Amino acid sequence: MRLTLAATTIALLSTTAFAQDLDSLTAAELLAQAQEEGQVTVYAFTSRIGRVEEAFEAAYPGIDMVTFDISSTEQIARIRSEAQAGVAGADVFYMSDAPVVLTDLVADELVAPYVPPRMAELVDDKFKTPLLAQRLSTKVLMYNEEAHPDGAPVSNLWDLTKPEWAGKVIMVDPLQRGDYLDLMTEVVLKSDEMATAYEAAFGSAIELDEGIENAGQQFIADLFANDLVLVGSTDDVNAAIGALGQDNPPIGFTSYSDRRDNEDEGWALQVANEVAPSNGIVFPALLALNPNTANPAAARLAVDFMMGDESETGGPAFAPFYVAGDWATRTDITPHPDAIPLADFTGWQIDPAATAEIRAEVADFILTLL
Amino acid sequence: MPATLRRLGNLISGQGLTWVMVLVLAILVTAPLLTIFIDTFQPTANGGSAWMDVLASRLTENLFLEPTLNTLIIGVCVASGCVLLGGFLAWLVVMTDVPGRALIGFMATLPFMIPSFATSLAWGSLFRNGRVGGGGGLLEGMGFAVPDWLSWGMTPTIVVLIAHYYALAFTVIAAALATVNGDLIEAAQMSGASRRRVLFGIVLPLVSPALIAGASLSFAGAVSNFAAPALLGLPVRMQTLSTRLFGMIEIGQAERGYVLAILLIGISALFLGLGNRVLNGRKSFATITGKGARPRRFALGGARLPLTMLAWLICLATTIVPIILLIAASLAPSSLKLFSDWTLHYWIGEASAQFARGQAGILRNPHLFTALSTTLVLGLCVALVANIIGVLIAVALTRQKVPVLSNLVSQLSFLPMLLPGIAFAAAYIALYGAPIGPFPALYGTPLLLGLALTAAMLPFAVQTGRATVAQISGDIDEAARMTGAGFFRRLGAITAPLAARGLAAGLLIAFVNVIGDLAITVLLYTPSSPLLAVLSYSYASDGFHQFANAVTIIILVISMLATGAASLLRGRRKHSFA
Repeated sequence: MRLTLAATTIALLSTTAFAQDLDSLTAAELLAQAQEEGQVTVYAFTSRIGRVEEAFEAAYPGIDMVTFDISSTEQIARIRSEAQAGVAGADVFYMSDAPVVLTDLVADELVAPYVPPRMAELVDDKFKTPLLAQRLSTKVLMYNEEAHPDGAPVSNLWDLTKPEWAGKVIMVDPLQRGDYLDLMTEVVLKSDEMATAYEAAFGSAIELDEGIENAGQQFIADLFANDLVLVGSTDDVNAAIGALGQDNPPIGFTSYSDRRDNEDEGWALQVANEVAPSNGIVFPALLALNPNTANPAAARLAVDFMMGDESETGGPAFAPFYVAGDWATRTDITPHPDAIPLADFTGWQIDPAATAEIRAEVADFILTLL
Repeated sequence: MPATLRRLGNLISGQGLTWVMVLVLAILVTAPLLTIFIDTFQPTANGGSAWMDVLASRLTENLFLEPTLNTLIIGVCVASGCVLLGGFLAWLVVMTDVPGRALIGFMATLPFMIPSFATSLAWGSLFRNGRVGGGGGLLEGMGFAVPDWLSWGMTPTIVVLIAHYYALAFTVIAAALATVNGDLIEAAQMSGASRRRVLFGIVLPLVSPALIAGASLSFAGAVSNFAAPALLGLPVRMQTLSTRLFGMIEIGQAERGYVLAILLIGISALFLGLGNRVLNGRKSFATITGKGARPRRFALGGARLPLTMLAWLICLATTIVPIILLIAASLAPSSLKLFSDWTLHYWIGEASAQFARGQAGILRNPHLFTALSTTLVLGLCVALVANIIGVLIAVALTRQKVPVLSNLVSQLSFLPMLLPGIAFAAAYIALYGAPIGPFPALYGTPLLLGLALTAAMLPFAVQTGRATVAQISGDIDEAARMTGAGFFRRLGAITAPLAARGLAAGLLIAFVNVIGDLAITVLLYTPSSPLLAVLSYSYASDGFHQFANAVTIIILVISMLATGAASLLRGRRKHSFA
């Protein structure tokens, strides 16, 4: 009995030490054990993971990467249920929805951080803790470039509340999709900037309606009152704004990086960057390990791989994400030539903790509007 | 061994069967519901009470009252529309000499197999206006100005849901009509009753269990449907309980979602209880007696041509048009021009960086074939198990009147219908996701998916089972009992064969429902064994509509084959619609 206990203790100690060991190993050093494990499962919130899988298997023959395209909301539900059931569904999670992931999941230790040693110097601290961000994505104001060849038809977020944009602003229902709720939450968090922008748009200081607490809430209320059109998916927004051949297309909030599909889909999506005080939000795409992974080395190798190789564009692993509208968190990757540099981009970078704090309140506020 | 079986049979034939069914329902329905009910008393994210938030706060109007009103309007309109449309077609196909009966009968079962989101998209591609940009649908393209009320909101939602669910009413009513004893009609005709009198005086009252079952199923389907109101209602901000519920779960306020789910159940139960009252108030519907006769057909006479054309118009609009649009949408590179530049890439194309963002055609997706076999096996197992339980419940309800318990069984077996799939799935995860006593956690196993789907199909199975079993006269059973036949023997030799036709309908509905179901499977499927509906959904949510439509067509084809097989079976029994 005592012997078993001792053995278990040693085993436990060595696993912990072992995990710490693994964290400090380079990709080359992880490889042998990863090949022994032979497999790594990834949940990812984007279909682009399919191309990552191909590139990974080409780079590391003998390790089978199994990928699943699962939305962040669903991943969160799954991670919780799987932990409760004691099932390790995936080894690696690739997800957005930072306000929930970085607060709830990290606090409950349902996901574990991992920063490949070679990234220690290449990624800013704010993108390494509490979880590693692989790139930044957006929900920002986009317009139809064909109908407006001289640039965005609006220069201030408050323009969207004017009569000429009644029924012409479109977005995904923020009460059905977390990232759009994050966008609305950010507007409330940035109420001071919204108040300043109001004066710029209308020439007088903002007056709040009864029951409204700040300029951000007032903007949301005015936007909804101006017959904001809601749809169920980002793709519907893209088609509505972007479709070619429209005389008077709507404007609205979607992902800057969806511009990459313009040619395939027959769209003319373009980002409105010269917008006061901001065109929307910039948020991280996070990489995390399953704390109970059965393939600890292969999981780390996969995360290391997804951060890109040593080339200027991050190589084949990063290729699916090397598009205008996604910014690498690595400082050494050359920005995409067609993209507005992050430093010049007007989008607000969200603060997940601050967002998490008032998100439910903002949701309730929106609920009273529709 | 036979002695044990006999003893068991005797035990069951008393009140035992009802008790066993209570136990089954407790595991499948009561326990998961209780779990989410308990969850609603947890404090919410902002420290409040979910019940207060929903029922008595500044949110009540938008969170509860308005969605409830919309939900009820949709439910009542859809149920009435479905019974009228489904009943009319069923009468035409089963009781009259309308030409092309078999084909009309086949087509009338198809709409239910076309997922309601596909029907909604089909509506959009015809009627949508510029409200959501993108240039509008076919009608606007032809120069008509389509008003908002026709493009979005209540009207299109009701029309689309009738077009989707009338097939349910048709299937149930047709099955019941087909078992109406020809002797009764013959007797009435011989005593000089007019056609109208035969229809309203004999046929309608006899199939009233089926009419009520059809109405109940359509009502419950309509009030819990998510896809149609979400796609067609959102742009004009029409919310129903199911869209609100989905949204609440999606933004992490599950407790409020569960409260809405429970309220939805309560409200629907109230409405459906009225239907049940009518059903239970009648003494007997038994028309299948020992002496059978072939059903008689009415000659339509002068009404033949107009009625035929009407039937074909309904079938065209609800079956052919959506299918054509679905096929076109799986071939056209752009959803804006559905009928040009067709390509088979989305079906069989190799992955190329130049096309469809590097995605290979669906038939090259290794997940597809796993998904196909998993879906088929799951569909068959669930349909079978659910219908066996369904018939047993139906037998218990008609043969054993146990006070309180019978009513409980009846209500419980219908509850899953009212609970939107996504809430149902959440309840199953909450309850069976973790180990219970000696039983291991079921999360991630196909068993959990199977259990949840079986429970979800019970309402269909029980309703179709009841509609059929209620018509089988107790006399036959009694006669057999007197000759010494045990419970299982009577079940196998009398009830099962006589209920076979209704059973075929029930099996078909359950099978089709399972292979097309998304709401439940999307939360419960195992990543290692995807299902077709999930595959279609994940393509659609990534914006790959052509791929999603192609997978939907595969689902549709399987459903059609199943329908074909079912009517072949009926044909061999010489009781076909035709």
